[in-house]
Amino acid sequence: MRPSPLPLRRAARQILSSSSPSAIRATAPAVPTARRSLNTSSTQTGSDCTCGNCIRRPQIQKLSKQQQQQRQQQQQVQKQQRSSYHSYDHPSSPASFTPVEESILSAAYQHVPSHGFTSSALAAGARDAGYLDISPTILPEGAFTLIRYHMVKQREGLAARARELFGGEGHVGARPGFSEREIMGRVEALMWERLLGNKEVIGRWQEALAIMAQPSYVPPSLKELAMLSDEILFLAGDSSVDPSWYTKRASLSTIYAAAELFMTNDHSPEFMDTRAFLNRRLREVNEVGGVFRNLREWVGFTATAGVNVLRSKGVRI
Amino acid sequence: MLRPATRPALAATRQVRQCAARFLSSPAAPDTSSSNINDPSTTPKTNPPPPPPNSKSSNTASKGKKPLTAEQRAFLSSALRVNQAGELAATLIYTGQTPPLVNRDPSLRPLMKHMYDQEAAHLRTFNDLIYRHRVRPTAMYPIWSVMASGLGWGTAMLGKEAAMACTEAVETEIGGHYNAQIRKLLEMVSEWEAEGYEVGAEFRDLINTLRRIRDEELEHLDHAVEHDAQKAEPHWLLTGVIRAGCRGAIWVSERV
Repeated sequence: MRPSPLPLRRAARQILSSSSPSAIRATAPAVPTARRSLNTSSTQTGSDCTCGNCIRRPQIQKLSKQQQQQRQQQQQVQKQQRSSYHSYDHPSSPASFTPVEESILSAAYQHVPSHGFTSSALAAGARDAGYLDISPTILPEGAFTLIRYHMVKQREGLAARARELFGGEGHVGARPGFSEREIMGRVEALMWERLLGNKEVIGRWQEALAIMAQPSYVPPSLKELAMLSDEILFLAGDSSVDPSWYTKRASLSTIYAAAELFMTNDHSPEFMDTRAFLNRRLREVNEVGGVFRNLREWVGFTATAGVNVLRSKGVRI
Repeated sequence: MLRPATRPALAATRQVRQCAARFLSSPAAPDTSSSNINDPSTTPKTNPPPPPPNSKSSNTASKGKKPLTAEQRAFLSSALRVNQAGELAATLIYTGQTPPLVNRDPSLRPLMKHMYDQEAAHLRTFNDLIYRHRVRPTAMYPIWSVMASGLGWGTAMLGKEAAMACTEAVETEIGGHYNAQIRKLLEMVSEWEAEGYEVGAEFRDLINTLRRIRDEELEHLDHAVEHDAQKAEPHWLLTGVIRAGCRGAIWVSERV
C-alpha cells in the first residue's frame, strides 16, 4: 500500500502527542490534503459528530493525553523486564504494548502473511481496527514494532503451552529437582513449540530477520532473544543459579537463532528437517558441556588428591 | 566464659546490633521482632510470628496489592543477587578455614561445623529465592568462589586468631548490609500500608527470612569474638582490609 511519507509521519506524531485541540488545528495545514479527514473535524467537538470522516476523531483526541502516559508506562515495563525480580504477590502489569498499539498491531498481524512485516500491513491493520491509515505512525519503530509484537506474543504464549505439555505444575515454591536429561527434553519441546509459532509467518520471516539485523534494531532483538531463552529455561524447570545460568542461556540463544534461520529455508513436511537440526545442535551442546564437566571433575579430584598426598608427607595444610 | 580482656571488645562489636535495634524500633518502621535483638535470652529461632497481613489495612478500604515499581524490582534483584553471592562466599570461607583450624585445635570442630551448616542453609535459601524470582545470579560467581576459598584458607593458615578476625570482619559487614536491606523493605511495606494496599505474604516471608539470617550472622560474629578474634596481630589491618574487601564485593555484586 502507501508507506507514509516522512513529513506526514512527523505531523501525525505532533498531533497525537499534543494535548490541546488548538495544537491540532495549528499543525493541521502541514497535513496533506489526502489526509483531510483529520482537520475537517477539528472544528467540531467530535463526540456527537456523525459524518463518516471524523468517526475516529474523539478517540484520537483522547489518545493524545493518554498516549504519553502509556508510552511512559511502557518504557517502565521494558525497563522492569531488564531488571527482572519476578514477584508473585505484587506482579507488575504484563502489558508490553499500550491498548491502542495492541489493537492496531493485533489487526495488522493478520495481514503479515500477505503483506509481510511492513508498514502496509500496519496501515491495513489500523484500518481494520477502525483507526486512520496514518495511525501506525504512533509506533516509533514502524515495522519493527510488528516484529517485536510477534516475538513478545509468542514468548508470552509459551507459559500456556508449557502447562499443556508438562501438566499444570506451577513454578512457585522450591526449585524443582529435574535431572539434566529431563530438562534437556523439556527445553527441546519448548524450543520446538516456539519455532512452530513462526509457522504462520515463515514465508515472511527472512524479511523480518533482515529488519532485525539493522544496527538500530539489533539491541532490542538480542534482548528479546535473551528473554526468550530465559523463559524457555525457566519453564523447563532449569534451576541452575551458578555460572551455568549464563552459559546455558547463551548456548540456547545461539541454537534458537540458528534453528530459526534454518527453518526459513526448510521445505520438508512439518519442518522435520528443522526438528532434526534442532536436536543435533542440542546434543552437541550437551556433549561439549559434558567434556567441561568431566574436565572440572578431573581438576578437582587431582587437586584434592595432591593436597592429601602433601598432608600424608606431613605438610600442615 | 568470657575473659575480662575481651569483654569491652565484644561490646564494641555489638554496635551493629544496637544500631539495628535503634532503627527497627523507630516509629517509621513498625517491627515486632526488634526486641529480641537486645535480648540475648531469645534465640533467633523464636522470632514472633509476622503481624497478620491485614492488621493495618483492615480498617481502611483495601486496594489489593500494589505492583512493584521498576526501582523496587531493581532493588530486590540486586539484593537477592548480592545475598546469594555473600552466602556463597561465606560457605567457601568456612570450607577453606575448617581443615587447617581443626588440625590445630580439634575442639573448634563443632563450632566450625555449626557455622558452616548455617551458612549452607542460607545459601540454599537464597538459591531458591533467586530461582523462584528469576533473578540473574552474579556474573562474578567464579571470581568470588576463588577469592573466598583463598581468604578462608589463607586466614586459617595465619592462625586461629586471624581466622576468627576474618569471621568477625565479614560478619560485621554482612550484618550491617542485611540491616540496610531490611530497613529498605520495611520502608516499602509501611509505605504500602500507609496507602491502604495489602502486603503479600511473599514480602513478610522475605523480611522474616532476612531477619533470621541476620541474627544468625551476628551470632557468628559473637562466636568469633569469643574465640579471640581481637587478639589477632595486627587486628586493625586484618579486619580493615577484609571489611574493605567485603564492601567492594557487595558493591560489585549489586551491579554485575
